[in-house]
Amino acid sequence: MSIHTRKLTLALAITLAFSGCSVMRSYDDELKQTVDLVSQGEVSQALQQLDSNNTGNDKDLLYYFEKGTLQRFDNKYKDSVITWLSADHLVNEWENEAKIRAGAILENIGAVTLNDKTRRYDGHDYEKVMLSTQLALDHLLNGDWDYARTEIKKTHEREAIIADVRAKETDAIEKESREKGIGTTFKNLNGYPVETLNSPEITSLKNGYQSAFSHYLAGFVYEALDEPSLAAAGYRQAIELRPNIKMLEDGLAGLDSRPHQHKPNETDVLMVVESGVAPSLSSVMIPIPVIYKGLGVIPISFPVLHSDPTRTNTPLTVAIDNANTQPLSMVTSLDAMSKRALKDDMPGIILRGILRAAIKGASQQALMHSNNGYAMLAGVALNVANVITESADERTWRTLPSTISVARFSIPTGKHEFTLGLNKKTLDINGAHALIVARVINNQVYWSQPIYGAKMPANIIAPPAPQIEPEIIPKSVSKKVRKSSTKKRSKK
Amino acid sequence: MRTQFLLSIAVITLLSGCANQTPTLSSGNVEYGDHKAVETLTNEFGSTDLQSIAQAMTNSLLQSPAVGAKQRPLVTIAEVKNRTSEYIDTKSITDTIRTKVMKSGLVRFAVDTSGMQTQTDEIVRQSQSGMYKKSMSKKIGQMEGADFRIEGTITSIVKQTDDVKDVYYKFSLQLIDNESGVMEWADEKEIRKTSTKSMF
Repeated sequence: MSIHTRKLTLALAITLAFSGCSVMRSYDDELKQTVDLVSQGEVSQALQQLDSNNTGNDKDLLYYFEKGTLQRFDNKYKDSVITWLSADHLVNEWENEAKIRAGAILENIGAVTLNDKTRRYDGHDYEKVMLSTQLALDHLLNGDWDYARTEIKKTHEREAIIADVRAKETDAIEKESREKGIGTTFKNLNGYPVETLNSPEITSLKNGYQSAFSHYLAGFVYEALDEPSLAAAGYRQAIELRPNIKMLEDGLAGLDSRPHQHKPNETDVLMVVESGVAPSLSSVMIPIPVIYKGLGVIPISFPVLHSDPTRTNTPLTVAIDNANTQPLSMVTSLDAMSKRALKDDMPGIILRGILRAAIKGASQQALMHSNNGYAMLAGVALNVANVITESADERTWRTLPSTISVARFSIPTGKHEFTLGLNKKTLDINGAHALIVARVINNQVYWSQPIYGAKMPANIIAPPAPQIEPEIIPKSVSKKVRKSSTKKRSKK
Repeated sequence: MRTQFLLSIAVITLLSGCANQTPTLSSGNVEYGDHKAVETLTNEFGSTDLQSIAQAMTNSLLQSPAVGAKQRPLVTIAEVKNRTSEYIDTKSITDTIRTKVMKSGLVRFAVDTSGMQTQTDEIVRQSQSGMYKKSMSKKIGQMEGADFRIEGTITSIVKQTDDVKDVYYKFSLQLIDNESGVMEWADEKEIRKTSTKSMF
């Protein structure tokens, strides 16, 4: 056995020993149970189940992703914010590292010798962006519009970092594969379900991380905070990401006129309906010819995304007080975005897979062809270990929705009954602008009642009625003030 | 005796000098930079663009005959519409222009629409809450109407090939007489930024 092969085998053995649980963990199996519980309305049990699968002190990004979502289902917005801020802290660490090491695609030896599961889970790009969006929704539901604005601004900055990092990574992968003469097109993987990543819905997306919903939400929040120049950019980007959707186009077209049309006793409501769950990841084993001659083929696993249509019941309308029916426009498909993200990640995954096949092939052959009996036995064991540990990275934020639909309407301030399918809920609508979020999984609907309070800016919630004599009220003071004052006079 | 006195003064001065020095806490990774340094990190709208637009517009506006025609005219800032796809905070640009123009002393500014609610709330609070002396509180109906308003637009044209991205910005600003509706001044500032592949 040459010194080089010994080192390689030692590295493989060490990596195998240290990577332990993460290599064998099936994230998809774990989350199937959690999603099943949520589908039946058992959020508390789903939370317990999630905790029982993550007993260590050092929680990973996925734990925080999933837990924050479950807490939202439970209307615990503050807890959800705290949990997701822990996730945000980890994403922030990734951002700081990524700016420095972008392009260092092969630095994680574990991923090359074993599988991608040994890599620290940094989250898919769309998950990082969606984290900021979901945090913004939590803040809005909690009445913290300024915090929501901060998260929205963070979303733009995060998107810029991701774009920069991915551009550098793509360059590095192209350079590496060119130098090693490796083809990284997923269409050439014999046996890979190419159609899962190649539909027009996926290829027409600008990228795998920017969503029309995130940008429309940005427009809505900036508009509510009286920042029309920023709102215009939000609506415009939403239209560019999902063209020809009337609801998105109306957002921009009505930006100038809406403030003049707004009535003091009405609320401009953005209704967000999140449906289903994000697709799951599984492995498909494909024999890869080893790039060194005479070493045959080695089976290497690649990730495949599976949509979950049985859980995705996307409502087309929402009824208000059993009369006013508003259309819901599907503006973002996280199902399609996750597939686009995987499609864009495939060259890197293929490159690492082919290099892994080469290392495995070389180390196996060195041991099998040794004259030493123990080494041959080790070669057989390594062969078995290779098959057992070879599995694609199945980790993905499963409790994210599959689709996001929105409706926007003005209704009188006060309590209203909303109907999605057969599910009804009475919600209190208050202020000049309000947000409602409903999550539909199977036939289960989780409604989020917004909290209204002092943290809302003056132009979101009307200020308390002052005691004014009507004859000296300037025109700029709201009609609500006049009404209140008149009532007081009549009591006298 | 005099030497001793001078010596003690010198020692006290030295010691007090030491005591007044602000300690520096640093990990060595963070540095303050020049806020006026030219920023070309990306070809998106940045601090240098904001500063150059604000400077150009201020210089041009202050040379306008409309500003000099009346003793310290009252001006308000209306909206600068963002017609780009970028999240450009145009209020930040107009805030900088307003600050620079104010410093010239030639113009006064009235509260703009975004600050109107706060202005109204404050007057109502002073005059109606019962918390203030009547003689000292500000009265409703005493606000001054602006002689002029400033409004404008920012537009962009983005062209991109595989290797090059070209972004052209045009910032237009106008000064309009609120009573007559006459546009008294207008100017534009154009910016072109081109970057190669590694930057986008």
